[in-house]
Amino acid sequence: MASSAFERGRRRSPATSIAIYLGVLVFAVWILLPVWYLVVSSLITPSQLGIKPFPLVPSSITFDNYFAVLFGNTGGKGIGSTDMGTRLVPAIGQSLLVSSVLVVLNLFIAGAAAYGLSRYPFRGARAFELSVIATRIVPAIAIIGPFFVAFRVIGVLNTPWALVISYNVFTLPLAIMILKNYFDQLPREIEEAAKIDGATRLQTLWIIIVPIARPGLVAAGVLIFLEAWSEFFYALVLTNQLTVPPLLAGFQSVQQFNWNALAAATVMSMLPPTVLVLIFQRHVVGALTAGVGK
Amino acid sequence: MAGATDLLGPKADRAFGLKLVAPAMIILIVLLALPTLLTVVYSLHDVPASGSSFGPFVGIENFTIIFSSPVFWRSAQVTLTFAIGFVVLSTVIGLAMAMLLNQRFIGRGLARALLIIPWATPWLVIGILWKWFADGSVGGLNAVLMMLGLTSDYHPFLSDPNTALPITVLAAVWRQASFAGILLLAGLQTLPEELNEAAQLDGANWWQRFSNITLPWLRPVLITVTVFNVIYAFLQFDVVFAMTQGGPGDTTQVLSVLIYRQLFVNTNIGLGSALAVILGVVALIGGLTIVRLFYRREMH
Repeated sequence: MASSAFERGRRRSPATSIAIYLGVLVFAVWILLPVWYLVVSSLITPSQLGIKPFPLVPSSITFDNYFAVLFGNTGGKGIGSTDMGTRLVPAIGQSLLVSSVLVVLNLFIAGAAAYGLSRYPFRGARAFELSVIATRIVPAIAIIGPFFVAFRVIGVLNTPWALVISYNVFTLPLAIMILKNYFDQLPREIEEAAKIDGATRLQTLWIIIVPIARPGLVAAGVLIFLEAWSEFFYALVLTNQLTVPPLLAGFQSVQQFNWNALAAATVMSMLPPTVLVLIFQRHVVGALTAGVGK
Repeated sequence: MAGATDLLGPKADRAFGLKLVAPAMIILIVLLALPTLLTVVYSLHDVPASGSSFGPFVGIENFTIIFSSPVFWRSAQVTLTFAIGFVVLSTVIGLAMAMLLNQRFIGRGLARALLIIPWATPWLVIGILWKWFADGSVGGLNAVLMMLGLTSDYHPFLSDPNTALPITVLAAVWRQASFAGILLLAGLQTLPEELNEAAQLDGANWWQRFSNITLPWLRPVLITVTVFNVIYAFLQFDVVFAMTQGGPGDTTQVLSVLIYRQLFVNTNIGLGSALAVILGVVALIGGLTIVRLFYRREMH
């Protein structure tokens, strides 16, 4: 095996190698250039930002923008007239709260449903599963009207609950699909062995299946977190800039605001999902591709 | 005894399954089926701005108004242009990235990690990032074009009606191509290398191997990716809202932005809901068409 891999590696012509490394260079520029622009913008002063062409390699950097958006005004050091410094941290807190509550709730509810669909199919189970998949096509924008009206009546507009409730529209079907595919891959002998040992169905699920299914549950949890953290439209309509995305969008429309500070806030908003996905990369990609092509 | 429990088993199993699924089912009926139904009902009424009642029943009048409105047709045209550019570019760039990252080269692990960054980035943040990246006075895109000697001065891409839509498409593609690339790369990794080697020994060139081995192997993944791309294309709101809010003029006013305007700026719930119904049907038809198209080709 080792020698054949060695031969394969050698068979590549120099021209092919050059083409591949050129391709990698183009790929790296395509991904990194916008990100690099954002990070540099967050690390320079407004006067550096005004230089033409934009200093892709700045002569000096500063962390003032980050201090400003995290801790409020830093002695008038160019934050403009925005109050981002007092609002970003609470918004990050609300985003974390909404996302975490949803992850926990959905893992229980979707986990139970996915396991039931996978192991104990009942009449209509397949139809339910297909309609869960079909909900991905329903435009979330299309059905926000009833939520807005109902939430105004029961008085949860502008609270985290408005989002915890409404986000189920996209997170719950996603979690059910991911977990159903995952449970389908686990061998059925597990249940049979547990049954012989005298365990009840619920005991089997809780004591045996849940620990085995941890990678799938982690992947589903990360994906739920990602969707909830990223959601913008419902947060825009149902709350007054409660979470991070509508807050960032709000700053864009503030007059006299400053791209350096917004860039720092934007970097902050990208960190949690990116770090989470990079840590659980294997699990997440595995879960996403498990049901593909079925 | 054993026979009796065997007969009872499946029935008790089915009941247990239903019990496990029931909470999710109830939540989805209340939060998804009901609002969807209500939206359809709204679309047939002249709903008062307060939304406190359905208002008078008007039948298909909202739809007649929409279909005779040039604003709608202009928006439909923008949506379709956006969707075609988005679906084609996301799929093609995603496939190219997947094939590249499936080769052996130094730093491949790092490159694969990079592929994940755009996908993990919230849609809205992609809109904000690209809005400033393409900015006419402080943007990075202009800086690069200038340094490469392609332009002599900064160009305001997003306030130019000719470039606003292509740039919003590009921004959305930046994210979605990564998603396509992740799935397609996973598909490529399961392709047995022996298939390509055997074809190579038989004298098949790169293009023949690509079209006769790689593409057919990837077909199921490609279907999934394309269906996702079509749905995200028609439902895209965040990127356009952050970058242009539909402007300049109406050059980037996709249907989702038009729905937002009708529902929350003009507070015309009936008309907005009718637009939403139309968008939902279009997204559904788009997704189904892709599935049909691919499967039909498979039959030949």
